[in-house]
Amino acid sequence: MQYGMIIDLERCVGCHACTIACKAEWEVPVEFARNWVYRMGPEMVDGEMASTYYPGLCNHCTDPVCVPECPADPVEVTFKDAKTGKTKTMEVAATWKDPFDGTVQIDKSRCLGCGACADACPYNARYVNPDLVDDVSEDGKADKCTYCKPRVEAGGIPACVQTCIAGARIFGDLDDPNSEVSKYVKKGAKGIEPDGGELGPNSRYYGKKKDMSLLFRTHTPELADLGSARRRAMLASLAKPAIKTIRNLGLIGAVGSILMNENNTSEDKE
Amino acid sequence: RSPLEAKGSFKDETVVGGICEMCFWRCQLVGKKRGGRLVKLEGNPKSIDNGTSICARGNAGIKLLYDPDRLKFPLKNVGERGNPKWKKISWKEALDECGNKLKAVEDKYGAKGICVFPHGSSAKYPMHFFERTVGTKNVSEASFFQCRGIRDTAYVATIGKAPGEKVDMPNAKVIFLLGGHFGENIHVSHIKRYLKGLQNGAKLIVVDPRYSASAAKSDIWVPIKPGTDTAFLLGIMNYLIATKKYDADFVDEYGDGFEEFAKGIEEWSLEKAAAACDLTVQQIKEVADLLADNAPNVSIHPGRHVSWYGNDFQRQRSLACLTGLLGAFYVKGGWVPAIGPKVGKLSWEHKEHEEEFNLNLNSDDELYHPFTPPGTPTELIRDAALTGKPHPIKGCVIWGQNPIQTIPGQEKMKNVLRQMDFVMCVDVMPTDITMWADILLPEVSYLERYDYIKTGTQWDLSEKQQQFISARMPLVSPLFERKDQVFITNEIAKRMGYEEDIPVKTAKDMVEKNLEVAGLSLAQLKKEGGIHIQPGKNPYNMPDDFEVVFFNEDIEDAGFPGVPTYKPVEEPPAGFARLIYGRVPVHTFNRTQNNVWLHSAMPTNPVWLNDELAAKMGLKDGDEVGFINQDGIKSRTTTIVKTTPGIRKDCVYMGHGYGSANPLMTVGVGAGVDDTSLVTKIAVDPETGANGMRNNFVKFIKDGKIINIPTAA
Repeated sequence: MQYGMIIDLERCVGCHACTIACKAEWEVPVEFARNWVYRMGPEMVDGEMASTYYPGLCNHCTDPVCVPECPADPVEVTFKDAKTGKTKTMEVAATWKDPFDGTVQIDKSRCLGCGACADACPYNARYVNPDLVDDVSEDGKADKCTYCKPRVEAGGIPACVQTCIAGARIFGDLDDPNSEVSKYVKKGAKGIEPDGGELGPNSRYYGKKKDMSLLFRTHTPELADLGSARRRAMLASLAKPAIKTIRNLGLIGAVGSILMNENNTSEDKE
Repeated sequence: RSPLEAKGSFKDETVVGGICEMCFWRCQLVGKKRGGRLVKLEGNPKSIDNGTSICARGNAGIKLLYDPDRLKFPLKNVGERGNPKWKKISWKEALDECGNKLKAVEDKYGAKGICVFPHGSSAKYPMHFFERTVGTKNVSEASFFQCRGIRDTAYVATIGKAPGEKVDMPNAKVIFLLGGHFGENIHVSHIKRYLKGLQNGAKLIVVDPRYSASAAKSDIWVPIKPGTDTAFLLGIMNYLIATKKYDADFVDEYGDGFEEFAKGIEEWSLEKAAAACDLTVQQIKEVADLLADNAPNVSIHPGRHVSWYGNDFQRQRSLACLTGLLGAFYVKGGWVPAIGPKVGKLSWEHKEHEEEFNLNLNSDDELYHPFTPPGTPTELIRDAALTGKPHPIKGCVIWGQNPIQTIPGQEKMKNVLRQMDFVMCVDVMPTDITMWADILLPEVSYLERYDYIKTGTQWDLSEKQQQFISARMPLVSPLFERKDQVFITNEIAKRMGYEEDIPVKTAKDMVEKNLEVAGLSLAQLKKEGGIHIQPGKNPYNMPDDFEVVFFNEDIEDAGFPGVPTYKPVEEPPAGFARLIYGRVPVHTFNRTQNNVWLHSAMPTNPVWLNDELAAKMGLKDGDEVGFINQDGIKSRTTTIVKTTPGIRKDCVYMGHGYGSANPLMTVGVGAGVDDTSLVTKIAVDPETGANGMRNNFVKFIKDGKIINIPTAA
């Protein structure tokens, strides 16, 4: 099973109901967004005037580039298929792709708040919510669209889909050939693949040719520089306990990385 | 510390009975409540109107409810009007002050010395008190005089009914929008109708100087020269008559004055219309043929905000006549008024008043503006206040309206307010007008009160005929010292000596009595999930007395053209472009500017500038600019440039309602440019007395330097 979402641009009127409903449902801070609506144009596309929208959200990619970047220590997690009751046990860091419903999720209690996953996502679909802190991370926690997994598991539909005034958001199982979303894929709905990437985005767009051209021309992202994401992740995994120690000691202000590493080393020894 | 995972509102208690008023379409809501606090609003799943959908504004209602900037206590202005210093006072003191001061105005100048600027469902009750019981005709509702009043009276003069937006778009073969920009303008069930029509294959024609959100979905976009719409419609109608492509059977049976009409518009060849509208003959012919080929199943949309150029009554008459020529009344896809249920209308009674007065009557007892919507044309009220003739106006009641950003001529409005003996404002939020109050009263919001009864039918008229009745009930209790309209009005009425006329003690009683007429009660509605649904009636049957008055003798007798007539509007002077404005989907005028979610969605109102002009002017996307208009008035704030080929060269465009001046709106203040501040030249539509607001012209200002707009190039 692979959950996916279709955005039908022939219907979308760019009203932003989806983005505000999401903010209310999941207490998303004002300055961040799990989903967004950008307006493009009017501009000329192949000799025709065009204007459309990019209602974006996490693509819950088939091969997500964010998941492998998580530096949190992997733990064994047993996943369960809500439908069949089948289980699968995997080692996952603080973010993973669910083996049964195909969604990409985060365990905030283990998230280090380093932002490596957010850096890695070419769609800017992740952010670090600084309001969410605990002993593991005082810098906040990575956050993103879950395809409203808790609502869906309780028998509901995603909040953005429920409120959409245009019926432009269609949610379902892309692996089921009879689902509404699969029918859209057959009609030509496409995900926005980054330049040179093969992530398999599962939030997909359907629309008039000129509107699709405009969307893909203006919003096809570059793959992120994973090198820098990794450096940050590595530093985070090394530094996080150290920062905690320092803060516990009440040392505030400029603290060099050497001191952090020393602290880290000494803590390891303990 | 927050819990790491948001709970999600779907687990919370659901409370029913909400009716939205983030805009005036008023969708049916349920609230999600956690620990007495409303955490989310959703469409009521029982609704056959908006269903589970609500728009961005509806979803953001909780951010109005809990806005820390909201008015909390009665306030007295101990500074000056327009530059207030607020002192918190008791309700008793506030009500005494309002009652006594208004009574003093009434004693000295009569009821005619009081004027009222109301807006919204809670403003009806106080408006009726001042209009019917105290007896002042000086009532200016923005919804009539700065918005849709012209549409209503023009259709009444043509088909005997106000048209609403009652076009059967789901079942249309063609949808025709003149300036309508759905997508930027959002009303949920109306958008559902529009999109269903498009999905069913309707062709969409959009006439607009700008490539609007609707133009982006259109089959035909007609980039018309601003102000020439009536010429466009006359060209189409004359062509349909000349080529016998109109519905002659319909016109024979239901038309009145067709011969005079046909003769009266025969000068409007396609060539003449094309020249007037800066279009090609082919562009107009294509529209006319598409309409004729698909008649009568065509939705000629009557529009909503139509106070454009001061020549608007004739344009709205033209739309009604075009609908008639196409036989598009009471047919699938045409203009079809759904038949809704009846409820009560309990409010203040009309009282006999000894002295009759009406600012709209001249000394010969003739009406200046014979086709006025209800109330008195705004400029007649303002001019009387400023000149003291024919009588002074010294008391001002403002309830839910923001006349500073609603009515053109801000300095004129300020002078009107300066000369008052007393100004009171009632609102939920501080706005630009509340800075002018002597007493400012905090009202409960639409989520905390009883008032409006929403009725209607299923939105797709071709589906099973159903009617609904729902009443606004509070979803949460009011916080701080906010009070509702019935309490405030009754208390003022008592102090003005009208205690015995009070029609109802509480807002809840008023709703109960109005529901009784339909055999319902609040308890029953609650039991039914907030919405009562009952069988409906077939809306496609034409009433026996229906007629389309093509040539209207009454209009001619009143001294105006009885056949729809095009009156050209002033051209932009050299170096200027016409300022046009419209809506953005996340705001309702200026009312939502302080809402932190909506503000973050669209924090400013970029000015649309033709890309070729921008290149000549040395401007690019994102440049920060201000404006100066033809009267030398400069915008107080700036916005950013959006360059696009999707707008004509003779106009620039921005979203309406931005650029608030009230520092108590900590989110919305100074965000974007206040388009109304640049509308200083006041046009009045002669038949109706309503304002025209697109006859002002601007240049840009960048880094303090004025930049001419090379429009003629």
